[in-house]
Amino acid sequence: MEITQTQNGEVLIFAIQGKLDSLTSKTFEGRLIPPIEQGNKKILLDFSEMDYISSAGLRVLLLAARLLSDSDGKIALCGLKPSIKSVFDIAGFSAVFPIFPSLPEALDELKK
Amino acid sequence: MSQTNHLTLHLKNDLAEIERVGEAVAALCEEHSVSAETVYAIELALDEVLTNIITYGYDDGEEHEIAVRLTLVDRELNLEIADDARPFNPLDAPTPDVAAPLQDKPLGGLGIHLVRTLMDHIEYKREHEQNVLIMTKKIA
Repeated sequence: MEITQTQNGEVLIFAIQGKLDSLTSKTFEGRLIPPIEQGNKKILLDFSEMDYISSAGLRVLLLAARLLSDSDGKIALCGLKPSIKSVFDIAGFSAVFPIFPSLPEALDELKK
Repeated sequence: MSQTNHLTLHLKNDLAEIERVGEAVAALCEEHSVSAETVYAIELALDEVLTNIITYGYDDGEEHEIAVRLTLVDRELNLEIADDARPFNPLDAPTPDVAAPLQDKPLGGLGIHLVRTLMDHIEYKREHEQNVLIMTKKIA
């Protein structure tokens, strides 16, 4: 798995490439959670190059979303492949995460 | 041309071993033209079960062996996982409330919920001091 981090205004963007499984989720957690704890309030996760997510990856997303909701922050996701979207549906995540087809749409939402 | 219908893998109780299972599943499924969605479901189910065993099943710090057997018969894939970890029946695990709002969403139990949803049939038995989990998935 590769994580590419970029900043667009106050939005912090993390693009995931490859697999978010039990092994790589620990790395992802180490990259995503500290900036939120340090006060970043707008997080965009670009999953357009992500091939796989397991419950370990979902757990990190849930942690991030809870922290952001506690600090009046916002999270948005984009580019979910169909198989990733089905995992979100089964886990009940599609109902609580704002999901957008493309990165510009997710950015617009976060910059509102 | 003959096709592989059966595959056995022996893994150590190390999370890094799970990737090997995913690769073997992908190779077997490719030979049998299994859809990408079904391959994902099978890989995910194995990942979740193995992650649970490796993360929570042992407390002696020793190396253990986990056997994974894949058998494809009549467009049905059989996955059998045998381990000598502490007794654990995933079918007894409570179903998490996935419809709960964000703050009440459970952090645990999601993996088993995914497995139970994605597989067509799951059977658990404890025999010869081993957990044996058999999951089946119909291949479209």
